[in-house]
Amino acid sequence: MFERFTKDARAVVVGAVGHAERLEAETVEEQHILLALLDREASRGSFALASLGLAGRGESVERALAEARRRGGLSRADEDALSGLGIRLADIVSRVEEAHGEGALESESRTAGRGKGWWSGLVGGHRPFARGAKDLLTESLRVAVAQRDRHIGDEHLLLALTARPGVPAEVLADHGVTHASLRRVLYGEGEGEAKAG
Amino acid sequence: MTEATDLAERAGDRDPRIGLRAVSALRRLLEQLEAVQVRSARNQGWSWQEIAAELGVSRQAVHKKYGRQ
Repeated sequence: MFERFTKDARAVVVGAVGHAERLEAETVEEQHILLALLDREASRGSFALASLGLAGRGESVERALAEARRRGGLSRADEDALSGLGIRLADIVSRVEEAHGEGALESESRTAGRGKGWWSGLVGGHRPFARGAKDLLTESLRVAVAQRDRHIGDEHLLLALTARPGVPAEVLADHGVTHASLRRVLYGEGEGEAKAG
Repeated sequence: MTEATDLAERAGDRDPRIGLRAVSALRRLLEQLEAVQVRSARNQGWSWQEIAAELGVSRQAVHKKYGRQ
């Protein structure tokens, strides 16, 4: 699988490890892959993001991811669902932080996959990939195959990321990047309906 | 506003999606809260046995989950 990754897709995997190290995360998670995707330039993925207006908004995405970490890794949709039960997540976060310090609820993924992945030779790191991040890499292969592409590029990583529920996809959607909008700019799908709206 | 907010406003609709989403969120929040409290107890010198007794689980279960930290 690894040999089918384009130069840009490999750079994303390596970059994700770098972001995990910088943020002192124990595992490489999907949010780190997203940050690495935003670092790319002149790739198919970065062109797609730019045409959806995300160019230069990396800091805004990074801030939204940091906020979600502080909420224990819960997304705003999660927060809304809890508020439907009468539970105010913001109150819980602030009480826990009062007692245990700022960032006390910051999520730590405890679900590192077992063993080294095929990419460990590529990145040479000791930091394991969390299960969600591994699944994302595997899913990108499926996306490429379904698209009948012979390579796996950063655009396939983006498509796989936006197809998965969770904080990274939600943050991207808040910035106007969804699975459907990506497919539209990458493959021209659903152009007719898009123009109507 | 967002689709999610809209969903939350209709929480009274008995839409299973909303209820299930809330349960899932609560479970993840619970995990984070447990980690915070266990870490705090360990920092204050509590034994695994004492922590396990408060959580109502076995000492082995707590140690297996948090012991490496």
